[in-house]
Amino acid sequence: MLGALAVVVIVVGALVAAGGDDALVIYNGRSHYGDEAVFHEFEEATGIEVELRGGTAPELFERLRREGDDTPADVLVTTDLANLWRAEEAGLLANVTTPELEANIPPELHDPDGAWWALTTRLRIPVVSTERVPEGAVTSYEDLGDPRWRGRTCLRTSNNEYNQSLVADMIAKRGREATEELLRSWMANDPDIINSDGELLAAIAAGDCDVGLSNHYYLGRALAENPDFPVAPAWPDQDGAGAHANVSGIGVVRGTDREEDAIALMEFLTSREAQDEFTTGSEFAANPDVPPAEHIRDWADVRMDPIAVDEAGPLLDEAVQLMLDVGWR
Amino acid sequence: MTDLAGGAPTSRDPAADGPSASASAPAARRRRAGGRFPGWAVLGIVIALVVVGPLVALPASFVGEGEAFGEISRTLLPRALVTSVLLGAGVGAGTLVVGGGLAVLVSFYDFPGRRWLDWALVLPMAMPAYVLVFVVLGQYGLASPLQTSLFGNGLQIPGLRTPVGAIVVLTSVLYPYVYVLGRSAFLGQSRQALDAARTLGCTYGQAIRRVAVPLARPALAGGAALAVMEALADFGTVDLLGIQALTSAIYRVWYGTFDQDAALQLATVLVSLALLMVTVERLVRGRARYHQALGAGDAVVPRPMRGPARWLAPLPGALLLAVVFVVPCAQLVAWSIETVADGTLDADLGRAARNTLLLGLAAATVAVITATVVAYGQRARPSPGGRLAARLATVGYAVPGTVVAVAVYVPLVWVDRRLADSFDGQLIFTGTALGLIIAYLVRFHALAYFAVEARMSRISPNLDDAARSLGADRTRVLADVHIPLLRPGMLAAALLVLVEVMKELPATALLRPLGGDTLAVTVWEATKDTRFDTAALPALLIVAVGLLPVIVLVRLLRRGDWESAAAQV
Repeated sequence: MLGALAVVVIVVGALVAAGGDDALVIYNGRSHYGDEAVFHEFEEATGIEVELRGGTAPELFERLRREGDDTPADVLVTTDLANLWRAEEAGLLANVTTPELEANIPPELHDPDGAWWALTTRLRIPVVSTERVPEGAVTSYEDLGDPRWRGRTCLRTSNNEYNQSLVADMIAKRGREATEELLRSWMANDPDIINSDGELLAAIAAGDCDVGLSNHYYLGRALAENPDFPVAPAWPDQDGAGAHANVSGIGVVRGTDREEDAIALMEFLTSREAQDEFTTGSEFAANPDVPPAEHIRDWADVRMDPIAVDEAGPLLDEAVQLMLDVGWR
Repeated sequence: MTDLAGGAPTSRDPAADGPSASASAPAARRRRAGGRFPGWAVLGIVIALVVVGPLVALPASFVGEGEAFGEISRTLLPRALVTSVLLGAGVGAGTLVVGGGLAVLVSFYDFPGRRWLDWALVLPMAMPAYVLVFVVLGQYGLASPLQTSLFGNGLQIPGLRTPVGAIVVLTSVLYPYVYVLGRSAFLGQSRQALDAARTLGCTYGQAIRRVAVPLARPALAGGAALAVMEALADFGTVDLLGIQALTSAIYRVWYGTFDQDAALQLATVLVSLALLMVTVERLVRGRARYHQALGAGDAVVPRPMRGPARWLAPLPGALLLAVVFVVPCAQLVAWSIETVADGTLDADLGRAARNTLLLGLAAATVAVITATVVAYGQRARPSPGGRLAARLATVGYAVPGTVVAVAVYVPLVWVDRRLADSFDGQLIFTGTALGLIIAYLVRFHALAYFAVEARMSRISPNLDDAARSLGADRTRVLADVHIPLLRPGMLAAALLVLVEVMKELPATALLRPLGGDTLAVTVWEATKDTRFDTAALPALLIVAVGLLPVIVLVRLLRRGDWESAAAQV
């Protein structure tokens, strides 16, 4: 029995110690599979050890909120603005501004008080099959509700934070009624509900559906892999508001005793060098000096409609409820 | 996924039917010993209550401020409930048809490959449903960097992302429950019953349909009930296929609206469904034993098939095995080799494997300790209250991992915030391995308890008496007499818990210590991220681990020991 207890103590000790005490702890919503390279570059450049703890943006926010002052996290990195907004609203982020950050990131891509700073911009756009959808057939979010796509639409689950942000932003800009009408027209097409953007693109390529909604960089990655990938972006509302743009961003956790290191990380991640690295994943850099990846360079001319986070943030819960009400699984 | 090796000692030992045989002697002894404080019994009850505590507290979520079932739950609940019930019903019917049909075929007919198929049909048990889903989704080769998809680019399965798709996936890995129990029941039947039916004018087929199958009905229903429980508890399959069942609704309410009361309320509904299935299973399996006792006489000899049917008979089973086990495993191996050869192997794989193993070992050790203490407490001083506590503590096994996670998280946060001051602001439970191990304990204590208790009930009370008459106290009896004798049971218990923890997804996904991903979470996350290359090797490792208890089972089957095998399921 004592031997067994010793095993438990050792094992738990090993698991708890796995973190390492002096690492800068980052609650990281971005993918662990490829996106983490830039953090390792930071380690090499500065000698500051980094510990990435993963999860989806809502999971990380929940964790941060529960842990409160006792959180081990020093930095929060999310894949969307909504969850940064939630964290800011809950008072979990510290305001940070430095001349270098301001030089790297234009004013519209950071919080005026410095609670969050964008790392990349990502567009949530209609995507269409190049084989079955004529050019110009989809030029707006509304066009996804065209009855001609009945049974031919794929959407990601309403559980997804990108969809929730998109809908909250729509409610903020178009009003609740117009948004509900739009969503109902999408639902009337009886969309297949799919669990990820990558899978959704594959489903269009494989012929399961003709049109869908995806973040632009998933398509960019598929095209980087295979230039003949039979799915194309359908840039929405180019004569009007433009394509819904969300950001992946970073903020310093309030109360951290590692603020200096956290700032060093933020300055590094917004620098040209690191931003260049982000664009290899087909995202748009937040730093305006860094162009998009070679194979999607002309995508930079697209008209964008940045998420109105201060208006859309408070509407997130309403957006979730609305999506469920119209039957978006 | 139930008790695979643990029941083994029980079923071969008729004296081990229950603790009742050993209970009376210690009771008498205690009366002699007078009113000494029954430390072990109290400790056992306390531990049992701690294990079951979070689940008992679940319904309290209806009591707090705020109305029951907020707006979100009211929208989600009806649909999720319908989906879950549909899944349960579909999987129940599906496993009955597939598992029952195969059991009939193998039990009553002889054909080429029968002996081999007999045990091989159990293998899909080692394949967690979410791994099978990952393999199927990975066939969309176009968007994945993998080119060795066995079906070329874009194998399409219409309706995969519907409840029907989920039913098919779950049925194809859960049918062995019905198969093993049905097969065991058929073997226990007598040939005379069939012969009697035939003298009354039935054909062989009619005799099977009208006599053999109805006699085995409780066993088949018991197996189906187990499969339904697993289907209700499933999270990975429904989540990856984008289907909204109760398990995924809980996750969604928690992280979509951050409304924990609502999540707890949904969990209460799910747990009620699961407990209903436990009750059904208890009832029909109790009857199964009774029915099998009727089957005295010679065992049924499978009848050789003639003509082309002889060659067609092995096809359904062989095809099923190929589709749900052999081909997916081959695909996983091919992908793993490709990622290793490309050097695209995930750098964190080693860490995930180590985390998985350490978590498994820790949970297994703790569960064996709690199981031993609870069982020994009952032995030291049996009482109705103690028995009830011990039984309650096994309920966790029927409770879906999602529910356990939600149930454990809330009280742990509460404790943590209060402890944080005395621990220098360190959170002890939430977001650490410790919280996760507690969740595993709630869920898998039962597995360890069944295995340890079965073994302990075979230790003669005379040994306790002898040791105590020589002056040993209860603690020494446990340390010097019981534990050495219990070792095989404790090892079996540890193995079972280890394997289940290493495969566990839903509780791990909800509670994981951030940064401490396990193999299962890696597969799940990478599949959601369409990084099939990252998921391949971890998925293969999970299947390999899952094979361990199945191999134990298969070895019993090959020895023809179907009765023990059935007891293990």
